[in-house]
Amino acid sequence: MNAGYDVLIKRVLDGELSPADLPPALRAEAEQALRWLGAVERAPVALSAAVEARVMARVRRHARSPLSRAWRWLASSRDVDIRLRVRPWVVGLATAAAIALVVLWPAGSVAPSHQPTYVRFVFYAPGARTVAVAGTFNQWDPHASPLALTAAPGVWTTTLALPPGQHQYAFLVDGAHWIADPAAPAVDDGFGRRNSVLAVTGADGKGRAL
Amino acid sequence: MRSGALGMLLGVLAATSVGAQGVASRLSGRVPPAVAALVERLADSAAGRGLPVEPLIEKAIEGGAKGVPDERVVTAVRATLGRLDEAATAMHTAGLARPDPEAIEAGAFALNAGLSADAVAALARHSSARYGPAATLRVAGTLVALGVPAPETVRLVQQALDAGSAPGDLLDLPQQVEGAMARGASPASAAEGLSRGAGHAPTGPHSPPGKGQAHKP
Repeated sequence: MNAGYDVLIKRVLDGELSPADLPPALRAEAEQALRWLGAVERAPVALSAAVEARVMARVRRHARSPLSRAWRWLASSRDVDIRLRVRPWVVGLATAAAIALVVLWPAGSVAPSHQPTYVRFVFYAPGARTVAVAGTFNQWDPHASPLALTAAPGVWTTTLALPPGQHQYAFLVDGAHWIADPAAPAVDDGFGRRNSVLAVTGADGKGRAL
Repeated sequence: MRSGALGMLLGVLAATSVGAQGVASRLSGRVPPAVAALVERLADSAAGRGLPVEPLIEKAIEGGAKGVPDERVVTAVRATLGRLDEAATAMHTAGLARPDPEAIEAGAFALNAGLSADAVAALARHSSARYGPAATLRVAGTLVALGVPAPETVRLVQQALDAGSAPGDLLDLPQQVEGAMARGASPASAAEGLSRGAGHAPTGPHSPPGKGQAHKP
């Protein structure tokens, strides 16, 4: 989808540069690419209760399996060894979508809800071997929330049940590259990079992703 | 009177002790012991001043997960503590004698996003019981994080508060700005368009960016 982009534009999409850092001739194209990302995968998705139950059952089963965690840890360590020599991927584009699916309180109520809201994360990273999302909602655990490769080439996704509140997160590619979502609000992480910002609230009966 | 003061003192000591144990256990295995000890001391100091300690723990855990050198982790935790202090001071300036930890944390987030302490104080002062300073400052911080300049952010949020619309409408502001940006507007012009829209009518509870009511940039 972005095979024709200049390498500098790819770095903008990676969050390493801002459009202002580019030569004037590339800025418009970079901004267009960022806008395109912002519009992708942002529509709300209404899942049936059966689908939600199946997804969450699999997530919980996966999260509780020590064997599965150990295997993931082993696999990601092996990836790091290989990647350091080869570095096969050159670009990662991120887009995170937050979808409110659960009606928690009667309309008009401002009482905070403690029920989770299902949030779908989508990440476009052709060539990546592993992608995970880590943030304040999973104690920045790189192994807690892996994304699965979809049928669409390079598109990774996962759906998480997040508690109401403001969260910061970043995507982790191949176990080593932290990448903020270039289409989401972002703040300085204090370590020279950016964290994406996601606010989930169940107030007045809706979930919102800011 | 004396027994009341003693009880309060014991309560504070107990809370500090429990908090310290919590910090140590949360950081165990996440950061080196020396970093954990330092963060624990900073958390104790923060708790003693009525500041939330969770942001400090989270920042240390984040640094450990990202493989950041120890000294940078400590620097980032200190910076986080500095912003919490600055936010608390801004709350006091705004007339909130006892700001709740959530509001202080939201103020620190807004400062980190790029709002000044004066702007945080102004928004905290402007927020009402209906909206609360925490929600107000989170929305403002998110707008700045989206790229909306600070003055426009303050103007837009204050306008929303003055309009007295439903709390949900305030929370929808960043989503509406994102929607306008997806249609090609700059963050500043998106915010200006919403301001001009007078009352920034909501586009619907689940309107995603790009699919809501159009706002002229």
